[in-house]
Amino acid sequence: MEGIAVGKSAFEKSSPAAIQTRDVGVKSATSGQSSERSDEDLLIAVGNNQDTASFNLLFQRFSKRIFAMGVKLTRNEQLAQDLVQEAMLTVWKKAPLYDLDRGSAQSWIFTLTRNRCFDMLRKIKRQPNTVNADDIWPQQEGELESNLVHEERGSMEVEIAQIESYYQELPDAQREVVEQIYIHDRTHEEAAAALNIPLGTLKSRLRLGLGKLRQMIGIEES
Amino acid sequence: MTYHSTHHPSRELLGKFAEGSLSAGMSVVISAHVELCPQCRETTSALEAEATLNWLQNPVSDTAGSEPDFSHMIDAITSEPQSITPEADRFAVNEIHMLEGSVSLPRVLAKLASDGLVWKKMAGGINQASVMLDNETQCEFLYMKPGSQVPVHKHRGNEITLVLDGSFSDEMGRYRESDFVLRNASHQHQPMSDEGCLCFAVQDSPLMFTKGLARLLNPFLQYRFRRATSAQA
Repeated sequence: MEGIAVGKSAFEKSSPAAIQTRDVGVKSATSGQSSERSDEDLLIAVGNNQDTASFNLLFQRFSKRIFAMGVKLTRNEQLAQDLVQEAMLTVWKKAPLYDLDRGSAQSWIFTLTRNRCFDMLRKIKRQPNTVNADDIWPQQEGELESNLVHEERGSMEVEIAQIESYYQELPDAQREVVEQIYIHDRTHEEAAAALNIPLGTLKSRLRLGLGKLRQMIGIEES
Repeated sequence: MTYHSTHHPSRELLGKFAEGSLSAGMSVVISAHVELCPQCRETTSALEAEATLNWLQNPVSDTAGSEPDFSHMIDAITSEPQSITPEADRFAVNEIHMLEGSVSLPRVLAKLASDGLVWKKMAGGINQASVMLDNETQCEFLYMKPGSQVPVHKHRGNEITLVLDGSFSDEMGRYRESDFVLRNASHQHQPMSDEGCLCFAVQDSPLMFTKGLARLLNPFLQYRFRRATSAQA
């Protein structure tokens, strides 16, 4: 009892010791080495390596913002808390699909929070479940085409050998992706990890790179 | 299609769309326009970025002492599997078969149509298929046969008509594919279509006019259009 009381009063008086304790507390959440890592870096680590430490940091940085958005839109703290749960779960699950080339991690988290909140409000108002937020604000179009790239893999491998000079003309970001997949023969997941980019970005760069190659060697888009 | 729409949602409306603060009906019709209109797609991305900044800059009201702590959620979340492949295009329907041919639909409308549309014949050569989205708007697909004309009417609130195929015109102009036509209470208009027109329309307050009467005056015909399958695309 006494220990707690002493600790509390020390804190209130802002004695040097208390300040230091507080600083350490803050440091572990948002500052020090970790604060130098961008949200994008953290999201990539979560998506490529299921890195829970990085997820923890994202959670610290965003959960209160999400809660605030929830309170503002639902005017209900319990629902706002549910929103934190749902939105951060979506961040975890969809991290591999984040695409660096299409916007910041903040925007990505904002839009998925908006979508979860939209669905949640509709459910509370008992509106018909005919469409959901992900239909209204579809994620990147590129996702839908990524299967196509995969199917063409066999034929493109042959082409690459013949067209090395074309391939050198690709922008660096696209060339290194094509190289990982077709020369080093890595899986999409391995290549994304090797380049430290999200899987979603790898797929969209691959699609762009292959599209450009196809154009250069004169293969019509089918 | 190379036709560029000449009628768009206002920047203000797109801003609310980007924030997610509009009704489902309004959000759906704007989403469908945005999919068809590169210009509005770009504006929407910019407005989403703007909304993100506003969100991050708004002070988080930390009610002193009762600072919420959610870290207990983390373990449960990180024990869930991640998704590495996006959900496939799940809609059974991506086009509407009309008598004269088929029309491919924006994603969100394809999703709506995949529940099956029930078409009703209205006055003046108009076919209507209502869809339920929320309690604030009235939403419907409208098909105007070539040479058809909607009875003169007025609105209490706003009416948005998105042209999906063909064209129609009223006293104020002619509207073609992807045009987003907003009419409010001050407009009285009489849309007509020479070549036929498929639209999606959203009203944010019910129409209180001859529509109900027209329904009574006309033989009540109900039929379902055949469901298209994506394999046919």
